[in-house]
Amino acid sequence: MTLIMIILAVIGGATLSIQAAINAQLGSKVGVFRCAFLTFSVGALITGLLIFYFEPSHAMTLLDVPKWQLLGAMCGVPYIVIMVFAVQRIGTAVATVAVIFGQLCMSMLIDNFGWFGNGIISFTPTRIGAIICLGIALYFIHASNKAAVKTEG
Amino acid sequence: MQFILILIVVMGGMGLSVEAGLLGPLGGEVGELWATFSVFSVGAALTFMLMLFFSPRNSPSFFKQPSWTLLGGVLGPVYVVILTITAPVIGIAMTMIGILMGQIAKSLLIDHYGLFGTQHRQVDRKRLVALVFIIIALFLMAQG
Repeated sequence: MTLIMIILAVIGGATLSIQAAINAQLGSKVGVFRCAFLTFSVGALITGLLIFYFEPSHAMTLLDVPKWQLLGAMCGVPYIVIMVFAVQRIGTAVATVAVIFGQLCMSMLIDNFGWFGNGIISFTPTRIGAIICLGIALYFIHASNKAAVKTEG
Repeated sequence: MQFILILIVVMGGMGLSVEAGLLGPLGGEVGELWATFSVFSVGAALTFMLMLFFSPRNSPSFFKQPSWTLLGGVLGPVYVVILTITAPVIGIAMTMIGILMGQIAKSLLIDHYGLFGTQHRQVDRKRLVALVFIIIALFLMAQG
């Protein structure tokens, strides 16, 4: 079960990077906000259609849950705007590494304390080892991007 | 100035994890597709307003672009649905590392073959080493 879920997460990451590549093309032609709007509205349309035909009915609806649970999108949209703003000033490589660093620290904290009603997964030596491996990986990505910029420039 | 910008970007990344942390429990209560729908409809509303007020006035129409460049929105829901399903089962941190691995593996392929009109760029050894370390990190996470 865990393995299937990890594979799913990897597939999710792969679609995300395809999306980033396609959106970069579109964004350079029609502008960033238009491109982001298209992404979100097409996404809303598709999930709307899927709900209409496939979603079984639930006891709770979006209007019944506590309002703070609906704040997810408020955290996703600033990310897009921040990236547009920051990438031009500090470069893609640094921005990417910084984003991943933030993601990882926060997700460790959420898991450790079980914030927002998530299950608690405590820090263990192996989890800390995983972070160290990831830190090394980030360093190599950063180094590779720097080398790429040098050869292009 | 640079340092403040980097801090802001780190906070952006934290926002992404918070989003994943909020979506998991929400999906358990109202269903994965409804949780996904909430993200995209609120996102569409917010970006519509950003577009209305801050977009350049004379940017070209969507209908003048090749239609495959409009496919980004089709892929977004795949990612968010997966996030909602996996986060409650394996935890936020492992979900994020899995997604990171998929991102890096796929972006290696995209760069290497110059897919989707991006610049053709040979894969170097450093990126492969990075991928190996991410796989080790995933393995450690699965153990712990």
